[in-house]
Amino acid sequence: MLDRAKFWRYARYTVLTLALLAAGFTFYLDFRVRSEFEGRRFALPARIYARPLELHAGLRIAQIDVVRELQEAGYGQGPREGDPGWFANDNDWLEVAIRPFVFWDGLQPAKRVRVAFEGGAVKAVQDAEGRELPLARLEPLAIGGIYPANNEDRVLVRLSEVPKPMVQALIATEDRNFYSHHGFDLRGIARAAFSFLRLKGLQGGSTLTQQLVKNFFLTPERTLSRKVTELFMAVLLEMHYDKDEILETYLNEIYLGQDRDRAIHGVGLASLFYFGKTVEHLTLAESALLVGMVKGPTFYDPFRNPERALERRNLVLRETKDRGYATMEEYSKARTADLGVNQKAAMGTSPHPAFLDLVHRQLRRDYDEADLRSEGLRVFTTLAPRVQAAAERALERKIAQFDRGKIFGEPGLEGAVVVTDTQSGEVQALVGGRDVRFRGFNRAVDAARPVGSLLKPAIYLTALADPSHYTLVTPIDDGPFVWKSRGAPDWEPTNYDKTFHGAVPLRMALAHSYNAATARLGTDIGVEKVLATIKRLGIERVMEPYASTLLGAVDLSPLEVAQMYQTIASGGFRTPLRAIREVTTQDGRPLRRYALAVEQAFPPEAMYLITAAMQGVVREGTAQSLKNWLPPETAVAGKTGTTTEQRDAWFAGFTGDRLGIVWIGYDDNRAARLSGAGAALPVWGELMAALSPEPLALPKPDGIENVLIDPESGLRADFACSGAVELPFALGSAPAERAPCASALGVAVEGAKQQAKSWMQRLFGR
Amino acid sequence: MRTLPALLAFAVAGCAAVVQPPGPYPAPGPFPEAAPLPEPAARTENLAIAGLLDGARADAAAGRLASAAASLERALRIEPRNPRLWQELARVRLKQGDYAQAESTAARSNSWAGSDNALRAENWRLIAHAREARGDAEGAKGALETAERQR
Repeated sequence: MLDRAKFWRYARYTVLTLALLAAGFTFYLDFRVRSEFEGRRFALPARIYARPLELHAGLRIAQIDVVRELQEAGYGQGPREGDPGWFANDNDWLEVAIRPFVFWDGLQPAKRVRVAFEGGAVKAVQDAEGRELPLARLEPLAIGGIYPANNEDRVLVRLSEVPKPMVQALIATEDRNFYSHHGFDLRGIARAAFSFLRLKGLQGGSTLTQQLVKNFFLTPERTLSRKVTELFMAVLLEMHYDKDEILETYLNEIYLGQDRDRAIHGVGLASLFYFGKTVEHLTLAESALLVGMVKGPTFYDPFRNPERALERRNLVLRETKDRGYATMEEYSKARTADLGVNQKAAMGTSPHPAFLDLVHRQLRRDYDEADLRSEGLRVFTTLAPRVQAAAERALERKIAQFDRGKIFGEPGLEGAVVVTDTQSGEVQALVGGRDVRFRGFNRAVDAARPVGSLLKPAIYLTALADPSHYTLVTPIDDGPFVWKSRGAPDWEPTNYDKTFHGAVPLRMALAHSYNAATARLGTDIGVEKVLATIKRLGIERVMEPYASTLLGAVDLSPLEVAQMYQTIASGGFRTPLRAIREVTTQDGRPLRRYALAVEQAFPPEAMYLITAAMQGVVREGTAQSLKNWLPPETAVAGKTGTTTEQRDAWFAGFTGDRLGIVWIGYDDNRAARLSGAGAALPVWGELMAALSPEPLALPKPDGIENVLIDPESGLRADFACSGAVELPFALGSAPAERAPCASALGVAVEGAKQQAKSWMQRLFGR
Repeated sequence: MRTLPALLAFAVAGCAAVVQPPGPYPAPGPFPEAAPLPEPAARTENLAIAGLLDGARADAAAGRLASAAASLERALRIEPRNPRLWQELARVRLKQGDYAQAESTAARSNSWAGSDNALRAENWRLIAHAREARGDAEGAKGALETAERQR
């Protein structure tokens, strides 16, 4: 029959078409398997490290601070033989088995050091044999990464580094016939089906190869067609690659847990994450725990569900023993071991997101974003964990205190902190908001806020750089001041205390932050000149040449303010703020160094004078309350800042070793009703007090002499004058006239009085 | 104390220059072919600094200038007010051909030099080298004259 012949013809075509399609599909899958597996490199995050702690005799650090840093780096109480990464201590000494680490300047092998402490400082550093060591560099803390898609994190390992018991436990538990099957395992499938039928739930049945294919190439949905594809690809994978290649890739791919937003992949990272040691040092029990977690890292999370994890581990151990991979003795020893996990505070992609954000920005200038997220670069930063912790704690505490007062509605008060090293410009700490772990708006870098009086030192510096006209005792008129300029409303700055103070010495006008005196001084010098000083101090933002700019009607971020004060803190040497020291490739080849750079922007004499004036702010001015945190010998130089309606509270100041900037205010610019001294200064004080700061002592430049001055008259005093103060002057700029009290030296009392009077009249008689 | 003869030689040369009436002075040639700068005889109390300084000098002598600079920066983190470290760093910057940094780093050393006039004089000679290398003969001359006055 015609129809029948037709039917067969169609049938033949159909079969042929299907066969072609199947061949095409297989060919396509084969192509995908080969090209992707071959070209596949795991994307490795850029790894970010804090500065390494360098221990040497004389370093001021308490033992507890060293121990804390070691614990954060995953070091446990020792000693443990043949396995670095531990410490042991007594009251006076600390022994550390430092893990090997590849620094910018090469591999530092594992080594043991003994560190003796005395009186809050390191007394000596020795090696294991008791020989004195000049310097011991600890492993730097990992403080986060710049991650690939899905925040996958992993540390690649070679199969040869993975302990045999781990591989055996894996095979015993997940895929008994791994070394004999061709990608799929009928016996395994049968076993799975059997257990399904016995209502024991859907389990396993997938070979390691299938699991790898699933994770590598496919989406996680469970459909029949996806299962068939998986099977095909597994077989193809086995055709092209040997068992060890597949196993090594599996061990690096497998998902083994979650650390906040960071996904823990591979046994290399999992060993570090759960046990604080490298994979080759894992015991049978530890290996079994990780293998047990393959089935469900959340369900068997040893931190959250330790009983479940223990039960699962022991099941893995039994399977391992039953398959003949472990002796009865090894088995019972491992069974009785505790979990051995080493819980650290959750870190996520970084515990210090604001600092990491700054690092990321600086890296973006020199590297592609894609490279940062995949090449496994190692980035050595300037973060000092102890300083960062102190900054976070101080800000959190102060803001919590204001919250308890409940005078500030929602959303809550915000803040930002920047701490740098005065000499090198290294950023030691950066806090971007009240929630220090929150990855979001980074106020330290991005919140440009009116700086108010923080700009004043630039005005006084401009004045003091011209010693023929201005000294620390030059009288400045703090009377009502009106500035008229065409096309703009009159500008009439008032003082914070709503009164005017008449003629005040220059240093007092800064110490008490008098607005009228400062505006008069600034306009006398010239706004343009002051703006030039601000630029030389390191502010790149263009400012309007208005008189109101002088009193800080300018928006700057805390980081910009830090750059400006850095130049003052380092004695007039402009030093670009840096968050990164070095970058290397994944295997330690140096790529780039961010070198220390200095540029002399101001003569030492002017810097010496402005620093003395800023020390006056703390000694006798608006920042006097700092004495509640630091003794006067610290001789801090600083400046408070409070803006209109108290929207922003600032404090900027430096000791001998650190510069700190604190800002407090509302994101939406509400009036915070907080002053710089009332809100920002306490954060600064608490932060610095926690770090036992070095006193500020500037070397006296050649062009500076100290002269005894009578504060009453502002004239030259001698020892007959009670209450006289010694003040620095540029050579030849100190007042020549003697104060009335200096009569003991033979100057007639009346004559001096007349002289003083005429001098005052000359200045103010107009 | 292998550095002592070099220092003496320099001191003698300096005296000679003072005795001579003002006139053309021997201009420093292009670095490092010019008369070798004396190695300062820095022997610090701090073992850590001494170790890093030795390492930096060895690196600099072998032409590993980036390593030398890194070691000096490490040392400066320990003793940021040590003018000898700043000076050594200025010397490395000069060898690296970074003349602007060489000059300002030597100036930084001066800011911590206190009353150590020999150290200051050496810094001014470094500044003279840096200016000369940048083609600023006038500035180099001024720096050398300042170096002479440091005694």
